[in-house]
Amino acid sequence: MLRSSLAGLCIALCAPASAQDLTVATWGGAYEAAQRQAVFAPFSEATGHTVEAVEYDGTVVALRDRAEAEGWDVIDMLADQARVACAEGLLLRLDAEALTGSAALADFTPHAPTRCAIPQNVYARVMAYDERAFPGIKPTRIEDFFDTARFPGKRAVQHGPDGILEWALLAEGVPPEQVYGLLSTDRGLRLAFRKLETIRDDILWWDDPAQPAQMLAEGRAVMAAGFNGRFFDVAKRGAVPVDIVWDGRIIGTEVWAIPADAGSVLLARSFLTHALQPATMARFSERIPYGPARASAFERIGLNPETGVPMRVHLPNAPQHGGRALVRDAAWYANTRDLRQRRFRSWLDRAE
Amino acid sequence: MQGIILRLRLVRRALNAEYVRMSVGHHSPPARPVIRMVILTATALCVGAAASFAAIAFVELVSMLNSALLVAPRARVQWEALPWLITLATLLVPTLGGLCVGLLHRHLSPERRPLGPPDVIRAVQFHRPLPDTRSGLVSSLTAVVSLGTGASVGQYGPMVYLGALCGGAVRNLRAGVPNLDGIAISCGVAAAIATAFNAPIAGLVFAHEVVLRHYATQAFAPVTVASVTGYVIANVVFERPALFLVDFAGVAHGYEFALFALLGLLVSLAAIGFMRLVLACGPWIARLISHPALRPGAAGLAVGLTALALPDVLGIGTETLRFATIEGAFGQGELVVLILAKILLTALCVGAGFSGGVFSPALLIGSLIGALFWVLVSGAGGIPTSGVAVYAIGAMMAFASAVIGAPLTCILIVFELTRNYDITIAAMVAVVFSNLVSHRLFGRSLFDIQLARRGMDFSRGRDRAHLAALPVRDLLSAEAVTMTPENTPEEIARHLTERGWRQAFVLDAGGKLVGVYSPGEGQHPATLTFEDDTSLADAMERMRGFVGDAVPVVARKDGRYLGAVSEADMVSAWLDHVARIREEENAAL
Repeated sequence: MLRSSLAGLCIALCAPASAQDLTVATWGGAYEAAQRQAVFAPFSEATGHTVEAVEYDGTVVALRDRAEAEGWDVIDMLADQARVACAEGLLLRLDAEALTGSAALADFTPHAPTRCAIPQNVYARVMAYDERAFPGIKPTRIEDFFDTARFPGKRAVQHGPDGILEWALLAEGVPPEQVYGLLSTDRGLRLAFRKLETIRDDILWWDDPAQPAQMLAEGRAVMAAGFNGRFFDVAKRGAVPVDIVWDGRIIGTEVWAIPADAGSVLLARSFLTHALQPATMARFSERIPYGPARASAFERIGLNPETGVPMRVHLPNAPQHGGRALVRDAAWYANTRDLRQRRFRSWLDRAE
Repeated sequence: MQGIILRLRLVRRALNAEYVRMSVGHHSPPARPVIRMVILTATALCVGAAASFAAIAFVELVSMLNSALLVAPRARVQWEALPWLITLATLLVPTLGGLCVGLLHRHLSPERRPLGPPDVIRAVQFHRPLPDTRSGLVSSLTAVVSLGTGASVGQYGPMVYLGALCGGAVRNLRAGVPNLDGIAISCGVAAAIATAFNAPIAGLVFAHEVVLRHYATQAFAPVTVASVTGYVIANVVFERPALFLVDFAGVAHGYEFALFALLGLLVSLAAIGFMRLVLACGPWIARLISHPALRPGAAGLAVGLTALALPDVLGIGTETLRFATIEGAFGQGELVVLILAKILLTALCVGAGFSGGVFSPALLIGSLIGALFWVLVSGAGGIPTSGVAVYAIGAMMAFASAVIGAPLTCILIVFELTRNYDITIAAMVAVVFSNLVSHRLFGRSLFDIQLARRGMDFSRGRDRAHLAALPVRDLLSAEAVTMTPENTPEEIARHLTERGWRQAFVLDAGGKLVGVYSPGEGQHPATLTFEDDTSLADAMERMRGFVGDAVPVVARKDGRYLGAVSEADMVSAWLDHVARIREEENAAL
């Protein structure tokens, strides 16, 4: 690994002295800010190449329309989008072994590198609750999300079938490995909606990922389904005691990829070599609660440089979280979108 | 006359040689104990690893085919936007799979049929080689095709055979270890089960309970090693999860154990019906469709047609098995229809010659019956229970145990699959009651009945089965004296004294037995004759009260005299066999 990263650095360093720019397409916001500090700046420092970040919406459409015109060299994507883009030939094939060294391949978790994409960090859809609502017994399992008798109050849920159907089956006692198999059958969907029906009157729907945390903070909901980073932010910023239940977390993967028509492929490769090192991943995870995609990076994760919060415990894939974890099946998600939307709509309309 | 005697003698010699080879196997002289230990351990490790890899490859291949051919729900749902494609695949995949299986058996397999646990049991029990390797490989291939294309058959039978195939390769080593052939096969079987279920204890017990049928240390130790090897490969190398994790807090009410027993009794009746249907379906389809290669295709079409309305019948049904443990996943009527459909289709597929076992379908049918029982008891009966899961799992194992005749294995499989002690205790009750009834009313297992129909009956013990498989024809004595009505009494008397016999057998011109002649008493009809298919076991029983040197053996179809078997030879053959079994069952190394 060391040798190949040195090789990567050498390629970068041996490039012409007139510092060439690298264009990275990414998500913007706090996420990009963390990337700047943890990934881009150290790369520029080491190689002398500046990194320019371009914000995009994460879709394949954007990649198709903008990548060539804007000269994207590296792109930060969701694993399922990368899968689609790869199949369409929009991404360069990557040799993960050459980029990270052969020993590192087994270090990637929960997903190994694929043909065109190498995992960089993971996020999770989790359940969070307002501590103030449950002074006594607190929810600890995904079953509690559906248990309005023991834990009364409104639940903030995304207005759509994503995530909640998985939880419904987990709450029926289905082990994570079988959730997507069962959801693939008509019977499984019926069971999931039956479970959802039990909390129908207690659901507050949200569309913007910022809303669930907000609803908790404002006391409109007592439990919420949302993304772990958002809940972390709310808890960090305000004095809102929001706690995350890690049981039933649905883990998604964020990957690095190189567009097929990238201008500076060599430089892009050396950037990936740098970005995929455990130390880089750990620096990133210290700034924003997205877990590293390599197991060995966990050992390096310490305090958030601004707030001094120990970050390891806030990462979705931290080894110390017990409970069930479900790894999002990107291909299944992409191919069943219509069906799930349709079933979700018809369930919603059945409301009296 | 002399010519005939000479020819008979040659035949007898050949038969005797065959008998000796069969009864003691082709053993070289026993090696030193240390060497034997090393060989046994090495065999266990190699066979265990090979069987385990084979089982994993098998499962992976099947699951790849299931995804590629739109059999698995997870694959089907992703093409949901094209309903005609799903319909077409549902109809065509099992049909073409069946045709493919039929043609492969017809043209590539010398045995022309799928092989399974009964063939393994036969090989191990009678120290014979497995059917030829080519048939075995074709059978494994057709099993992959059968399961991959969604036929309603099980995967564990073929995996057991695949494991046995790995062990069978050891037979050709003349290593100087007695019983090595059977032990090696059992090692393969144990490792395959240990890998497939992620259940090493169940693998070990299955190999003993179903295949070896004794618990000698010589076999127990290597089979354990092989089983653990399979487990290590499945768990440490490939990290396969436990198959059937269930959350279960414990049995809530004491009276539920009575319900489990009742469930076991009911399930066994269903299992008996299922097994009878499986046995009856083969001949029925054979009468219906004369061309053997077309039969699986027809059964496949039946599966496809049913699956259009009831997709749960397609393939192994992992999802359906899980649904059975969830309350309210099925309606009452739905359960009844599904149980009947699965029973009929499995019998049809197995009978039609799809390559595959009956264990996984048995698990599925059993769990659905358990769910139905629970619906009736808790819904209609209004009795408070501790949830559907324990009933589904108890019935699942009770059904499977009746079919494979292995209660201990089934109890341990529950334990290792669910890793839950309370469920195991509950399932145990259902399992034994089911076994009790099915053993009494049907037989020990489907395998044993299938073997019994091929003339190998284990219902009265291993020793009896061994003796029953040994025809007295193989023990014909070369020295027996025959005469024709033309021979003078003096000639006969001289012959008899020369050979030390007191009786001669009188044959007519066509070689038919006419009677028995002894000097002093003259000629009288034979008091006892054996036929060419009389077994040693029958012979020993018919010998009660018999007085004389030897019993003549005649051809059943035309009464032609074949030779005579002396009482002494029969007794020594019997002693040899009993001694051999005793040695095998008590061998330490």
